[in-house]
Amino acid sequence: MVIRVKNLVKRYGNLVALDHLSLDVKEGEIFGLLGPNGSGKTTAINCILSLLKFDKGDIEVFNKPMTPESYDTKRDIGIVMQNVAVYKELTVYENIDYFCGLYVPDKVKRKQLVDEAIQFVGLEDYVKFQPKKLSGGLLRRLNIACGIAHKPKLIILDEPTVAVDPQSRNKILEGILELNRQGATIVYTSHYMEEVEQICSRILIIDKGKAIASGTKEELKNMITIGEKITLQTYGLTPEQISAAGNLPNVLSAEYNGSNLVIKSTKGKNNLESVLDFAKQEGIQFGTIYSELPTLNDVFLEITGKELRD
Amino acid sequence: MFVHIFRYRLKCLFKDKVTIFWTMIFPLVLATFFQLALANIGNNERFSPIEVAVVNDENYNNNQIFKTVLNEVSTGEERIFNLQTVTLENAARLLQDGEIAGYMVAETPVRLVVSKSGLRQNIIKIFLDRFMQTSSAAMAVRAQDFDSIGKEVLEEVSISKAEPNIHLNYFYSLIAMACFYGSLFGLREVMEIQADNSSIAARINIAPTHKLKAFIYSMCASFFIHIVELLILLIYLILVLKVDFGARIGYVLLTTIIGSIAGVSFGAIVSALIKKKEGLKIAILITFSMVCSFLAGMMMHSIKYSVSENVPILSYLNPVNLLTDALYSLHFFDSLSRYWLNMALLTMFILVFWFGTYFIVRRRKYASI
Repeated sequence: MVIRVKNLVKRYGNLVALDHLSLDVKEGEIFGLLGPNGSGKTTAINCILSLLKFDKGDIEVFNKPMTPESYDTKRDIGIVMQNVAVYKELTVYENIDYFCGLYVPDKVKRKQLVDEAIQFVGLEDYVKFQPKKLSGGLLRRLNIACGIAHKPKLIILDEPTVAVDPQSRNKILEGILELNRQGATIVYTSHYMEEVEQICSRILIIDKGKAIASGTKEELKNMITIGEKITLQTYGLTPEQISAAGNLPNVLSAEYNGSNLVIKSTKGKNNLESVLDFAKQEGIQFGTIYSELPTLNDVFLEITGKELRD
Repeated sequence: MFVHIFRYRLKCLFKDKVTIFWTMIFPLVLATFFQLALANIGNNERFSPIEVAVVNDENYNNNQIFKTVLNEVSTGEERIFNLQTVTLENAARLLQDGEIAGYMVAETPVRLVVSKSGLRQNIIKIFLDRFMQTSSAAMAVRAQDFDSIGKEVLEEVSISKAEPNIHLNYFYSLIAMACFYGSLFGLREVMEIQADNSSIAARINIAPTHKLKAFIYSMCASFFIHIVELLILLIYLILVLKVDFGARIGYVLLTTIIGSIAGVSFGAIVSALIKKKEGLKIAILITFSMVCSFLAGMMMHSIKYSVSENVPILSYLNPVNLLTDALYSLHFFDSLSRYWLNMALLTMFILVFWFGTYFIVRRRKYASI
């Protein structure tokens, strides 16, 4: 096991930031820690890294208890912080070299690692730039390079794509998958469910410091009753029509907001066909109709009663 | 690891324009302004014996030690005082007319009466302090050896042969201020090693590098760059502005280095103690340095004497004043006892700053980040 956390409790005065949180991260996986802002993701990471004191619980990294003095363990960890943590006075190359040098004293080996990291994040054209001259996306890439240049076995990325343009975001996500292919175990925290769905092999959803569900994305989606969500863009439905839609076979609920009729159904092969028949029978004119499988947001909504982005 | 951290810290600090401005450019500019302002005053004055009076009463005539010592320091070519022995009424009149800097009344302890604060009054006070200290110690050992007491006092209070320039105090306090502006370096070092202060610090705390060692290596870079800045200031003062620091340049350098260490260390402890944003910490450090420099006489040299006369404890608690006074005593007195007292007090301050910072920075885990 790469990380094992058992019954972790962290309080800030009366506020319980982590409430008996347990998690296991296996070697070679991309583990997603998903939760809304303030759910305790960064607090959990800081406790795992032995930066934060906690009230109760056990933390092991690479099967050893994690302490601030666990230098051997730390050597194999790379961290990409939520906030960009680089020196504004140093160039791109110097920043990566400085942080890599805290892990790798050998100059020759370090130069090779730094060059590889620069190439990996695509900053070859900016090596002599100071951070203030980089765009937000490039700055995030520099932040990642500083965290992974020493080729760690475990990489923790704490919301690495916040305020990043789509192009850089895709580059970052592709990079994470590549790091994983190269053998690194990844812990990825985010409140963007699409990203977590896209790259994580296993996901833990947390809310208010508590683990509320965990598993692969398929396992998580199987936990809820909704199997399909069909949306019709239409106007002027009567209450009777909405009620009739709710009574169709397999339908769990039908909600209408004046322009979209959203029908949530259990799993089934013929849900879309049945809705189309219903629309034809009722003479409902619609602009578009589409079917979606449930998302992690639906999982979160069904378990907590609120949206992931609330 | 030392070379790696030290080299990169030097690069970071050297390119930190705000800190470089306050710690090097600002003192250089201020020194230039001082020189321009003081050049027109042209108040270079050779030291001449100070006009003093002693009240000729029964106590004075009975106090043979005091009488002998006073005569000792008021005769010869290198005398400190031009002494007049007068009645109390005459002494008061002479003081009022400005014909004497002060008069002494041989009570227990000897009382000094002055009408204002200043360099001359300060010298009389130092003489009396030293007399009382030395005579009470000597009395216990050799009751009749008046001459030797006089020699000891004379040795302690004797004025150096350098030309005293009252305006030098402005430059001394300026150097002391520059030393304490080094606190900005100390502030930054702590900000970048305490994980609850910055993301960079959190990243360093996660690395497999001993936190205290990384902090000490970084502090070494801060000490180095600040000492270099102060050397540039000294060279500018001596070679460009032609400020005369006397013959004891080695001691001036030592004082500056100790001052730099005190200043940087002060910034470190303030940064470690105050859990506020960087801007507020900088404001606190600059305000503190300016107030201490003001009390050390940087804006008005008489302030220094007023403080030492009215609130002497403040003189000893003000590290900028200790530095100013150390440079002042190096130039003005042959004896180094006052200089070493200042240095000893500064060293105590440095130790307090170091231990205080150590006990805060050694913490490895934080309650919140």
